[in-house]
Amino acid sequence: MSKVDIEKKILSANDRVAIENRQTFAEAGLLVFNIISSPGSGKTTLLEATLDRLAAEMKILVIEGDVSTERDMDRVRAHGADGIQINTGGGCHLSAKMISGVLGGLALEAADIVFIENVGNLICPSTYDLGEDIRMVLLSTAEGDDKPMKYPSIFHEAELAIITKIDLLPYLEFDIEKVGTEIRVLNPECEILELSALKGEGMDTWIEWIRKRLEMKRAASSAAGE
Amino acid sequence: MHELSICQSMLEIVEKTMAEHPDATLERIFLDIGRGSTVESTLLSEAFEVITSGGPYEKVELVINDIPIAGRCRSCERDFTYEEFALGCPSCGSTDIEIHSGLELDIKHLEIDEG
Repeated sequence: MSKVDIEKKILSANDRVAIENRQTFAEAGLLVFNIISSPGSGKTTLLEATLDRLAAEMKILVIEGDVSTERDMDRVRAHGADGIQINTGGGCHLSAKMISGVLGGLALEAADIVFIENVGNLICPSTYDLGEDIRMVLLSTAEGDDKPMKYPSIFHEAELAIITKIDLLPYLEFDIEKVGTEIRVLNPECEILELSALKGEGMDTWIEWIRKRLEMKRAASSAAGE
Repeated sequence: MHELSICQSMLEIVEKTMAEHPDATLERIFLDIGRGSTVESTLLSEAFEVITSGGPYEKVELVINDIPIAGRCRSCERDFTYEEFALGCPSCGSTDIEIHSGLELDIKHLEIDEG
């Protein structure tokens, strides 16, 4: 019996494609978000409200990941986004290869931001790097305040956590301070925003956050290009 | 349930490696899977059985080294180990902690019989 050393990450092939995607996005000067949450936490509604506020000043692309249907793509198109729908046909997450497979069909050079809306799932997508700049997680107040510790990986990984549907707080037993504390224990550097995409509360802060990060990305890209 | 696709990625690495040893028989695959990796060892073993059933790797044993979450408290400077993610340092309760293992999703080595 002999031993053959490998010492590799199981997802090294995915990570390699993610690095290529990141390079493609960087060359086109794009800021890219990977949005992860459970189904129904408001990813598409947040995109619609974001498009309503930003589509006039910048070009936004959306890559939609769902098991089936073009419903989400139809919704964001109606709010000014171009993009593409990926149907995973049962798959519980998007992979870097699925993203690279659709990049040729998108006008990347003309765009400023890409939002990748991952398949609704708090577990699997957190393992797959897609080549994004910002991995963000949404948690809606209706899901309950116990979720960060129940699904710790994504909160450990995310750079930004957004608590959505805060307009429902008066009707729910949702301890927003506890959620903030638990997220920060899992991930001290995680930024946390609170908003209602439907009613507008907190949206200005989110929009400013995007503008600031786009500026930072452009400054970093032009510094790297010099 | 992404263990099937994790298993497929793992087998792609195994097949590439075995192509360099065309006359050998694969006996065991050794993995490091962290408790915080989002991959469940039991489901991964089941996925492996399903995928390899009836094929050349049907008799191959998957050996999973289950790695607990370990870290260090920045406040009391003690090292700690968790079975699962938990809130703060088990000694002093501080939330100022750093995690340094338990997120692994690695293929370590193969055992082959060169006949």
